[in-house]
Amino acid sequence: MPVQQERIEEHRITAEPYYLPRGEELEIARMVYAHRLPLLLKGPTGCGKTRFMEYLAWELERPLVTVSCHDDLTTGDLVGRYLIRGGEAVWMDGPLSLAVRAGAICYLDEIVEARKDTTVVIHPLADDRRELPVEKLGELLTAPPEFMLAVSYNPGYQSVLKDLKQSTRQRFVALEFDYPAAEFETEIVAREAGLDEGTARNLVKVATMTRGLKDSGLQEGASTRLLIHAGKLIKGGIAPRTACRVAVCAPLSDEPEMLAALEEIVSSVF
Amino acid sequence: MPTTLNRDEKVTWKSATTAGQALLEELAYWGKDDYLERLAAYPEPVREEVLRLAAAIWPVSYALGYNFLDQVDKGLSCLAPEQLAEWVKATLDVYEREGLQAATRYLAEVEDNFLCRLRGEHGLSLTAATSRLLPYLRGLAGGELALAPAPVSWTDGETIFLPPEISLFKQSVANFTVYKLLATFQWGLLKLGTLTGDLAMFPGLAKELINRYGRQPAGEEPFPADFCSLFPAPRQAADLLMLLESQRVLRYLQQQLPGLMRDSLPVCRRLQSRRPAPASLRGPSRVLEAWSRWVLTGEGEAGEGLGPEEKKLYRQGLLLLAAAGEPGEDAAAPVQGGGAGQQEGGVGQSLELTAGLYQLLAELSGDYERIEPLLGILRPAAVQAVRLRRREERRQRFVEALGAFLPPEAATSATTDEEAGPVTGGAPPPPDSEGLAMLIGRSGEGDEEREPPAAEGAPEYLVIGGREFKLPEEIQALAREIQNDLGRVPPRYLSAAVGQAGGSAIRGPGPAAGSDGEESLVGPLVYDEWDYRRQGFRKDWCKLLPKELAPVQSTFVSSTLARYRGSLHQLKRQFEMMRLQQRHLRRQRDGDEIDFDAVVESLADAQAGVSPTEKLFIRLDRDERNIAAVFLVDMSSSTEGWVSLSLKEALALMCEALEVLGDRYAIYGFSGMRRQRSEFYHVKHLDEPYSDLVRGRLAAINPREYTRMGPPIRHVTKLLTAVDARVRLLITLSDGKPEDYDDYKGDYAIEDTRHALIEARAAGVHPFAITIDRQAQDYIPHLYGAVSYCFIDDVRKLPLRLPGIYRTLTT
Ligand SMILES: Nc1ncnc2c1ncn2[C@@H]1O[C@H](COP(=O)(O)OP(=O)(O)OP(=O)(O)O)[C@@H](O)[C@H]1O
Ligand SMILES: [Mg+2]
Repeated sequence: MPVQQERIEEHRITAEPYYLPRGEELEIARMVYAHRLPLLLKGPTGCGKTRFMEYLAWELERPLVTVSCHDDLTTGDLVGRYLIRGGEAVWMDGPLSLAVRAGAICYLDEIVEARKDTTVVIHPLADDRRELPVEKLGELLTAPPEFMLAVSYNPGYQSVLKDLKQSTRQRFVALEFDYPAAEFETEIVAREAGLDEGTARNLVKVATMTRGLKDSGLQEGASTRLLIHAGKLIKGGIAPRTACRVAVCAPLSDEPEMLAALEEIVSSVF
Repeated sequence: MPTTLNRDEKVTWKSATTAGQALLEELAYWGKDDYLERLAAYPEPVREEVLRLAAAIWPVSYALGYNFLDQVDKGLSCLAPEQLAEWVKATLDVYEREGLQAATRYLAEVEDNFLCRLRGEHGLSLTAATSRLLPYLRGLAGGELALAPAPVSWTDGETIFLPPEISLFKQSVANFTVYKLLATFQWGLLKLGTLTGDLAMFPGLAKELINRYGRQPAGEEPFPADFCSLFPAPRQAADLLMLLESQRVLRYLQQQLPGLMRDSLPVCRRLQSRRPAPASLRGPSRVLEAWSRWVLTGEGEAGEGLGPEEKKLYRQGLLLLAAAGEPGEDAAAPVQGGGAGQQEGGVGQSLELTAGLYQLLAELSGDYERIEPLLGILRPAAVQAVRLRRREERRQRFVEALGAFLPPEAATSATTDEEAGPVTGGAPPPPDSEGLAMLIGRSGEGDEEREPPAAEGAPEYLVIGGREFKLPEEIQALAREIQNDLGRVPPRYLSAAVGQAGGSAIRGPGPAAGSDGEESLVGPLVYDEWDYRRQGFRKDWCKLLPKELAPVQSTFVSSTLARYRGSLHQLKRQFEMMRLQQRHLRRQRDGDEIDFDAVVESLADAQAGVSPTEKLFIRLDRDERNIAAVFLVDMSSSTEGWVSLSLKEALALMCEALEVLGDRYAIYGFSGMRRQRSEFYHVKHLDEPYSDLVRGRLAAINPREYTRMGPPIRHVTKLLTAVDARVRLLITLSDGKPEDYDDYKGDYAIEDTRHALIEARAAGVHPFAITIDRQAQDYIPHLYGAVSYCFIDDVRKLPLRLPGIYRTLTT
């Protein structure tokens, strides 16, 4: 189908994304891909999961179809549905079928946000059957060897309603992500925000300190992403303390005392 | 032109009071004409008041009296005459507390000290600063540190002591910076290893000093006091070392926390201005003071106020001071990176430099009088005490845990040897190790699988008499801690443990000891208890007794609601929102609204010849949540006071919120004594309405006995698994560690509680643990690591935090 052909090409990553490996994650992912296993990425927000998938897709030369899951996501949203075009019903593949047909990588971001009855459609795809039933078409898609399923979730969220079912999680090879080690993170922040190394290191210092506040009531410490945001502001000429206040402290907490402590951290470094 | 007026001519006026008159005569006698002239210029009532006050100071201190007369003009420029008395009183208070110098300063800075107090501009108290300072400090340290008040700043390694109040500046923001600097400085001392050095690491220097001064180390003293006592004037050496370490720490802070140091510049200047002028000191103290000032601000290279000889020494000393912490300092090291103190440019270098400075000062005559502390003091003995306490606790825990873990035959098959050689490290046991107990990094089996020894040589196995035991994770962790502290696990720890092998039932600290006996209990509500040392259950070990709390007539609930009126409104709205957010179920056969997506889809399906669905509606499903929550409340005696009150308030607010939301919930309390009597108090059952009776029981919650957490958790788990709900939630609210009257304590209690929570989770219950404590303890991450938890350090925050936690948990 030419329309679909075009659509999948949009998902191809042509330029090499910047990704700095921290350990063996790339080797493992390559192996997982070679064995046609599905991949689960666990980790706090903004630590590089999406970037990792982009890099992997680029390296494997596969298109990357990303779906951000939410609780209204239906099976139809994933698998596809009929639309009416000029009085005629036209079948439109959903992102999942699109990826399966094209042998792409399908990445379901924040899988726990999806409703459990939606999550089950990936079950036959995520075991050795590697099939996706498309009921309305009466088709059973079998994934080609190039296809890969990857999902991500953040175990730090404490809601009991958002837990991954055992029958789901036990289908995946799980890679655990965390914030990169300080030297790596400095390099990433410097590079992504176009900052000098010294400022980047100071941003990482701030982040490390906020991550030490988990026991004192902060839900999560500052992510790499926040540091990059702050870095970009600094690069653009905003005073570092201000940049950190708006891009690091304020997004982390609403509690006045915690905010005060966060700002003390910032002002000790910058 | 000198005048030699006689006494009678000088005072042409008299004071109305005898005391005043006596003072006037005294001034005249000593030829203090200028004072007399100044006094004469005041209007009569003011003059009388000044004289009266001066006469009151006189018997306390002449010097202060003259100072008062010197400053009276300045005082009168901003104070009304009737405020003078108050000012003098405050000055005398300062004199009593801190001596002449401080009182003089107090007088001189009437504007900053006294007036601002009158205006209600007090200094900043530590209590007020803590809520902001403590999280900052914990973020900095990446772990636990506590704050406590003390006249001078110091730390014992666990707690940082700071002055109870800082009033260096008028604005509390500026005073906060002072606190921040002082606290960070103490952290720097810990971080850079000032207090954790070891003289044995510097044998060359020690020997040189012994040769030079002929004093032998006492041997008992902790570092760095042992180093200082190698000098003839240990206090002088101690102050020099502290000076060098201050310089080293400040330099480190300059690199790592440039923002703080920039903000602190005015603080350092102000602190410097508070110090006595070097000229007012004598001998070595004078030069030392000049150095101190330089360390504080980097100003005064020239050495103002010093004699020519002193100046020369001073400049030579600056070169040494400037070298403190100089080389090897790794600017790239992140704040959390460790071990800066162990590297070059570490404390060892400061020791060398101390000897150098000491020698410089030896050229000056006069005794050394201690100068005022710069940013804080060192108390090596207190640090040592904490270290020894922790070491002993670790030893006990290790011996007990290992002893309980080993089977009894281990004791007979092994002979332990004090000379057992290296007991840690990744190397396989030497072939002649028969009969010796030793720890090794990895199993000797499967050679080709074996990894190279880990850098730390983390012990994982114990070898006795040729047998290998894989150590449980808890014991491994303890061994690692001991290794970090002592460099190895001492053989006597092992021999002690082997001597107790299999002893958990007889000698161990478990609940078996004492009068309890070993017999199982019978009854309907009897629960097992987890014994981590044997990695198994004690069968039917604890008896749970359900009890009723007698409801009390009380306005507790209504007054709580009144107290939180402001927040309650918002709280209810939030929970109302949660209820409304309840799932719109799409694609239903019937419902209140049409699901347009579904309709469009079915039209398209029909067009395509697929039989269209009939599920075209959206329904608001109120039962979707279907959550059953149990709140389990600690009623142990340790909750007495604020904790208990806040717990109850929290529950009262929680009930209001849950009534809005409509989730099913229950509340039970627990306390008790010994395993035969674990009491379980009913406040509200799951399906019981929130009645006045419940409110009465809520008000009746009060501190009772001990905290054996395992049985109530297991009981609630059982209750919850019998309930039909989509989500079952167990929220525990407790303070501090689980503990009972018998030996349900320490690791045993923690491990049982932890296990009970894990059991709950395995049974499909979601446990969530809330701990209220002054500070997060080391054990909390372990205790609750397997389940979700949260820690609240300020109990007053609990009432509003609890509903917030519930909300995040269930959305
Ligand atoms: N290893 C890395 N190499 C390069 N960039 C990285 C790396 N780790 C993190 N980043 C940077 O951090 C940013 C945030 O990462 P990313 O968007 O991948 O987070 P995420 O884990 O997907 O977060 P979320 O769970 O919130 O979606 C990226 O845009 C990237 O700039
Ligand atoms: Mg992402």
